[in-house]
Amino acid sequence: MLPTRGQAVHSMRIFPMTSKALVVIVFIASGFIAQSAVAESCANLQEQFGDKHVSVHCGKAPSAVFDTQGRLWVAFVQNKHVYVSHSDDAGKSFSSPVQVNKAPEDTEFNGENRPKIIIASGGEVLLSWTTKTSSNFTGLIRFTRSVDGGMSFDAPRTINDDELDTGHRFDSLFLTDSGNLYLTWIDKRDMEKSLEQGNEYPGAAIYYTVSKNLGMSFGPNHRVAHNSCECCRIAMAPHGDDKVAILWRQIYNKQIRDHALAILSPEGEITDIKRATVDDWYINACPHHGPSMVQAKQEKQYHMAWFSAGDLHKGIYYGRYDLAKAESSQIIEVDATPGAGHPSLAQYGDELLLVWKGFNGVSTQLQLMRSRNGGESWASTETLLSTEQASDHPLLISNDAGIYLSWSTEEYGYVFKELSHDK
Amino acid sequence: MISNGIVNKKAHFSKSLAIGVAIFYSTFVSLTVRADNIQNFNMQSFEQIKAQYEGKPFVVSLWSIHCAPCRVELKLLGEIKKTDPDFPLVVISTDSLENREEAVEILANYDLQNIKTWMFADAFVERLRFSVDPLWHGELPRSYFFNDDHSFESHSGVLTRTQLNQRGQSSLILPNQ
Repeated sequence: MLPTRGQAVHSMRIFPMTSKALVVIVFIASGFIAQSAVAESCANLQEQFGDKHVSVHCGKAPSAVFDTQGRLWVAFVQNKHVYVSHSDDAGKSFSSPVQVNKAPEDTEFNGENRPKIIIASGGEVLLSWTTKTSSNFTGLIRFTRSVDGGMSFDAPRTINDDELDTGHRFDSLFLTDSGNLYLTWIDKRDMEKSLEQGNEYPGAAIYYTVSKNLGMSFGPNHRVAHNSCECCRIAMAPHGDDKVAILWRQIYNKQIRDHALAILSPEGEITDIKRATVDDWYINACPHHGPSMVQAKQEKQYHMAWFSAGDLHKGIYYGRYDLAKAESSQIIEVDATPGAGHPSLAQYGDELLLVWKGFNGVSTQLQLMRSRNGGESWASTETLLSTEQASDHPLLISNDAGIYLSWSTEEYGYVFKELSHDK
Repeated sequence: MISNGIVNKKAHFSKSLAIGVAIFYSTFVSLTVRADNIQNFNMQSFEQIKAQYEGKPFVVSLWSIHCAPCRVELKLLGEIKKTDPDFPLVVISTDSLENREEAVEILANYDLQNIKTWMFADAFVERLRFSVDPLWHGELPRSYFFNDDHSFESHSGVLTRTQLNQRGQSSLILPNQ
């Protein structure tokens, strides 16, 4: 018999799905859909309002964040524009989208590349995204902000400071408690330079910059590391009040694409660069599969979830990285089923949640695993939703009230749903 | 004042002109759309491809406009195809059809624009990937060596000429370089 949803965590085993389990899951999923009844497919909306209807349910690659007042904000891409929409009822209804960039840009929108949005405590709406400039992997890191509560936005600015027509993509944005705004991305300026000199350069590099005035201006670009993988999102988490930890896919020994972690300071000081996962994924290819990371309650420790098809680990993994020891522990295989991918982690109190996508040949399953003790043990996998249509990577976000799922789907539209407070 | 007759005549003329322009335009547009050799890759496509190569070996290369290492592989495949136009090569882009023009432009850079290639025609990419190989995680480039009996070997990452030669020894005759 399956454990009920309220049952205490007692093991970290992952049960194979039985037909009985499937029935229970379908039942849970149907309840889930009924609860998020407002989510509406874009197809339905376009039937009502026409093909050009701009909506959070039609937009591509959305990101979500709460402001300090509990208002939910979502940024998404539609027809070469970034839009922002907000919700005062946790995603049941949304405001009319506001266009962020007036001039159209070839804004990247895919699982690994999406607009990022953060709301500062003073209400400033801060946004970054990547704009593609050619079909040869070139792009610009763009940033803008609104100081009137998201009604209007400054003209977007380019943040990479090299003025080179090369790759600057896969941006990530993070605001520390002390008010330092970190923007990090994958950069190909060093690769270009190396190739010009006739030297090989595996992959790309990780760069970042910091703004100490909420994006009015940014400091210089700093290089974190050479030879990163060139096509995976970067995960960010706080480190103290002032600094951040970042986790990215790095190339080791020219051939292995595992993960590295580093601590970045607002002054450009980079410390603790260490290999954080040892999966031995020998691959000269684009995994398009970035990691997820949140700060653990234990000092200087980080929860990580990632994907690998390496010699040592194949599938989705969870592990806890300890900065002091410079090693990962509590590593568990979350899902090694073919088709499983794109994990996202979030934490609320003692509860740690991990979602990812599975695929069984017919439908995509949105999978969830819960830990109530900081990743020491995990309850068995729950299937939250299932769809036989296209869907984005699932994302988890948290605030001081709980953990929420943000997931763009063709079938249900944009799904936003509280997952914590296990009922 | 212009009489009704003239107005009608004018209206008739501009209507004919409009239809003419429309016919010309649609012919032109449909011609330009069909000017490339890209086929829609749907749930049936891989079975159809295998049927076309019944009893014969072939190589499959999957790529995307977003994948930098894929360009290295496309270059090699373009060279091989140039040396041996009959090389049994199936090239599939995992990008959506919205990116068709860009895909064609890239294929042309490697002299692959004149061969029949495929492009994912369904936003539900997981399903299409599964139809090729349930064990493939979506990393690119991804390739397959199908033997006569359609047993196959898979490979993730850029193919090298040596790999193509070695893997192809049993059933594929590869042009030498």
